[in-house]
Amino acid sequence: MRRATLYRITGAVVGAAALISGAAYARISNNPLNTLATGDAHLMSAGPLAFGPDGILFVGDSIGGQVMAIDTHDRRPASAAKVDVQDINAKIAAMVGITPDQLVINDVKVNPISKNVYLSVSRGRGPDAMPLIVRVERGSDRISVLPLDDVAHAAVQLSDAPASASAADPPNGRPSSRMLTITDMVYVKGDLMVAGLSNEEWSSALRSIPFPFQRTAAQGATIQIWHSSHGRFETQAPIRTFVPYDIDGRNYVLAAYTCTPLVKIPFSELHPGARIHGTEIADLGAGNQPLDMVPYRRNGHDYILINNTSRGVMKLQADDLGAYKPISAPTITNVAGVPYQTISDLQNVRHLARLDAQDVLILTGKSSGPPWQAGPLIGPVNLQTIPLP
Amino acid sequence: MRSSQLVSAAAIVLVSGAIAAAQIHDHLAAPSASAASTAATSPAATSPAATSPAATSADAQSAPARIGIRFAGSSFTVSGWKPPPTAPQGGWSAVFAVYASVAAAPGASPTPVTPGLPALLGSYAIEHGALVFRPRFPLAAGMQYRAVFTPPRAPAISGVFYGPPRDVTPSTRVLHIYPSAAVLPSNTLRLYIYFSAPMSRGEAAAYVHVLDAHGHVLHEVFLPGEELWDPQFTQLTLTFDPGRIKRGLTSNERMGPPIAPGARYTLVIERGWPDARGVPLVAGASKVYRGGPALRTPPDPHQWRVGAPAAGARGPVTVDFPHPMNYPLLQRMLRVTGPHGSVAGSIGIGHDETRWSFTPRRAWPAGRYQLIVDRDLEDVAGNRIDQPFDIDVFQRVTEHIVTRTLAVPFEVR
Repeated sequence: MRRATLYRITGAVVGAAALISGAAYARISNNPLNTLATGDAHLMSAGPLAFGPDGILFVGDSIGGQVMAIDTHDRRPASAAKVDVQDINAKIAAMVGITPDQLVINDVKVNPISKNVYLSVSRGRGPDAMPLIVRVERGSDRISVLPLDDVAHAAVQLSDAPASASAADPPNGRPSSRMLTITDMVYVKGDLMVAGLSNEEWSSALRSIPFPFQRTAAQGATIQIWHSSHGRFETQAPIRTFVPYDIDGRNYVLAAYTCTPLVKIPFSELHPGARIHGTEIADLGAGNQPLDMVPYRRNGHDYILINNTSRGVMKLQADDLGAYKPISAPTITNVAGVPYQTISDLQNVRHLARLDAQDVLILTGKSSGPPWQAGPLIGPVNLQTIPLP
Repeated sequence: MRSSQLVSAAAIVLVSGAIAAAQIHDHLAAPSASAASTAATSPAATSPAATSPAATSADAQSAPARIGIRFAGSSFTVSGWKPPPTAPQGGWSAVFAVYASVAAAPGASPTPVTPGLPALLGSYAIEHGALVFRPRFPLAAGMQYRAVFTPPRAPAISGVFYGPPRDVTPSTRVLHIYPSAAVLPSNTLRLYIYFSAPMSRGEAAAYVHVLDAHGHVLHEVFLPGEELWDPQFTQLTLTFDPGRIKRGLTSNERMGPPIAPGARYTLVIERGWPDARGVPLVAGASKVYRGGPALRTPPDPHQWRVGAPAAGARGPVTVDFPHPMNYPLLQRMLRVTGPHGSVAGSIGIGHDETRWSFTPRRAWPAGRYQLIVDRDLEDVAGNRIDQPFDIDVFQRVTEHIVTRTLAVPFEVR
């Protein structure tokens, strides 16, 4: 796999650097742990996860409208080891004193240094569900829940309140009903990129937040990405999941959209405030949402493993992505563009997480109802490593 | 969240030469000052009790002191046992652990400990000479807690305690479904369901269906995946699959739009949908709608009819739109400014979201006013000001964002 190299939103960095002296900024940048303050990391929810430098875990908090960076103190290098925890939802639920149906596992990631596994979990299903960060030690079924009341942390607000915040009372006296549901986060050499879905507007904002955090992300980069879809019409849509990727020596973001196009977007065009065009290179099918993408290389070929809400796990052939022509006409098939195969052995995969060059971590669980419905999970939820297909 | 307030009552399980180990069944909802006296007087002490001959025998021989497990405040305490000064090998959890499980139905035997499931997380302390366990998380309604004490070289004893009873009385209702109109454009992008109280997340797919005119459940109508709630979980957004809405996309070509012009549909919300307490709705709900023509023209404020109020009164300014607009966005993407800046007042939305009105807190002074419109305001089909939901690429897309608002003037006389 060829990971993307440095990407930085110039404007945001200039703004951040203006706040502090160059020397101090350099010192802080070199020691991100020094920028964290110890105390109660007040999370209101725990959604998507991403690892940053030195075992720092980013936690997307949609209800709190923030991203929290937490020092896991988990930075002893180790090689990957098999994980196999059956019924992990029941085990965590027993530890925190609720029934498994009241426990929601929101994301799974592997600490790239220690190879321990981290899960973001909701203890409850309502708005006041308690957010938990759970660790499964590599090569074991030892589960622990990270204490969050006395931990080194830093938060950045994703405050992008509407410009027309009014002096008017809403018609029913309710507080703001807008919420950005964070769907994916990726840390790339100094920047945390955050994708999300608004419950009210249809937008494609992709945020790039320099880390260490500086005040709020509202002053950071917001990029609207357009993708051409099948020739004549193009549209703006929310990104569901994404991964940095190099194609022919150029840095791209490969972004999977809610309506399942896979789109490549050059890093070089990601400027704050820009409205840019991405190029659709695959259509992953209707009635479906892509969930996670794990790029890997095997036997000299590049692949991307993608799991979906309704269309199983796909293995995308990622050699020479630059050679594929953009999709330019409607195709009356389920799929189009870059070739891929569906891995029929992998069913009910809710989360994929990169482990190492050989293995991938999967969280599996059956959902009620037909696949297109993607209903609530029923029965056991299992966490295990499997060889990359 | 299902977790409840801390259980503050007390009960005790006693073991002595004369008193067998008891499993106490009682909902510990009422506060009590004295654990020991509660145990002596509580009806729970005589409720179904499972004797433990081994424990009785062992204690009768080697531990004549009364050993019991007590729950008070937010902690479980082993009474009548003098703990060693340091934790035993394997830690305190090796001798004292609490296991949570769903409570059995009233009158039924307690739920046994499920093999392989870990104990409740919490902390241990020696307080007043007794071993105390404090759960890390609040006890939850409807849960059973089995505390198991395994003294060294002696059989285990256990006590069963319960969190407060679950409130199972339905009280949450569907308040409204937007768009309100009976005819929806075939490219309608979103539906909003408003509830009277917070709901459970992750359940919508099982309880919301769209039926065709024959009552058959339709597939692949809404975008699967994350449920989009407001922060209070009282407003759910359902997005029609955009792949079926956008012209030129495979699914649009293959399946057609999720709302066909002229066709009749029923959105059904099942009563069983659990609210945030896990309790079903008071009643199900439904909305019948017919498909109308697609709405491809972006909202144009020049076509809006602004009804200016009279000076010196508190009558509303009204704005009538030719097409229905996105309900939640109407609440925050329009405002009024006047000679003295932003005007305070209250918003009203009506006429199937084709009318927005604004009533000021104080009477209108005469003068020139402006309706400030956020360009991100959408109609029901996701078309924004000056920007349709899907764009013909032969039209040039603006390369950079321009101002986020525009102004529509009106005069108060």
